[in-house]
Amino acid sequence: MRILVVHAHPNPESFGAALFRRTVDGLRARGHEVDACDLYAEDFQPVLTREERVGYHAVPANREPVEGHVRRLEQAEALVLVYPVWNFGLPAILKGYFDRVFLPGVSFKLVEGRVRPNLGHIVRLMVVTTYGGPRWRAFLVGDPPRKYATRVLRALIKPTARAGYLAHYDMNRSTDATRAAFLARLDEALAGF
Amino acid sequence: MRVLVVYAHPCEESFNAALRDVAMQALAEAGHEARLLDLYAMDFDPVLNAQGRRRYHAPGANETDVEEHLDHLRWCEALIFIYPTWWYGQPAMLKGWLDRVWIPHATFRMPERNKPIGRVLTNIRIIGAVSTLGSPKWWWWIMGAPGRRTLLTGLSVLCAPRCRTFWLGLHRMDSRDQAERTDFLASVKRKLSRLS
Repeated sequence: MRILVVHAHPNPESFGAALFRRTVDGLRARGHEVDACDLYAEDFQPVLTREERVGYHAVPANREPVEGHVRRLEQAEALVLVYPVWNFGLPAILKGYFDRVFLPGVSFKLVEGRVRPNLGHIVRLMVVTTYGGPRWRAFLVGDPPRKYATRVLRALIKPTARAGYLAHYDMNRSTDATRAAFLARLDEALAGF
Repeated sequence: MRVLVVYAHPCEESFNAALRDVAMQALAEAGHEARLLDLYAMDFDPVLNAQGRRRYHAPGANETDVEEHLDHLRWCEALIFIYPTWWYGQPAMLKGWLDRVWIPHATFRMPERNKPIGRVLTNIRIIGAVSTLGSPKWWWWIMGAPGRRTLLTGLSVLCAPRCRTFWLGLHRMDSRDQAERTDFLASVKRKLSRLS
């Protein structure tokens, strides 16, 4: 399977980066073709510019500023996101990836003013993430990042696609044991690809 | 009342810019003291970098480069966001402002064992958002309104205990005619004139 793994964490020594490496290595070891996209390492610019906003609906010229990323996305049969939840949302660099790359004519089409999903080639979605706070706190806020993955992104890919959401909550009080248990859960999920 | 308006849109001719202007005008006319943070205009860098992440938990040191923004937050009684909803959330520019400015110690106290997160910015008693959305309202709710939750619910738990929130959203933005847009501008003006 061709899998695009998109990662957002600035520090190579972080647990988030360890999750990314584990994901990429684990999938490759199982024979998958993995495109590892580390947004910080690739110095991705997340700010949608004035020029991009003005040309946003001009398909296909709108993809020119991010053509490489569009091609990588279009080649993927599965999408895996590895990132920390910050302030009950995605890190800006990852949010900007969606702002700039998930364009009309790429991730969706506008048909008579209505949005139609356009990522039917993606048959698997998985999110691997960490939260600073406990799950009940995320629940009280409505867990926006979980909704983002399991509803917003889910609606763009193949309707029968499987979507997984793997989260280590309460990182601020995590221990070696909880982190090891989470890595084991990750291994198990990767085996399912 | 002291009001901080945080605005993010790349185009000066946009409807969001018109919302910003109407908001600032309404606040001034109502006698409020308002400050504007125009994130695109000030070329704010929304990316929390490696150095920033490493000192994220260090009191004082983590305020480097964002002191001015924190001063604004400590000054205001109302915090109002004006931005287009992109992909059901804030533009990266605005999300990164949360990532970099809403840091521990300065804006909240980290939860300790069995103790919840602590409020710091108790001077902020109103948080509001004005946004334009491409989606119809019913679909926005099916999707779980993530951007609204991140801002209003996520931040209000860090501000005054009785912090009030409001949300003014114009849905199906791409097919709105002039009259509907004018109506929305008027409703934003009305809301901000009555801010108290």
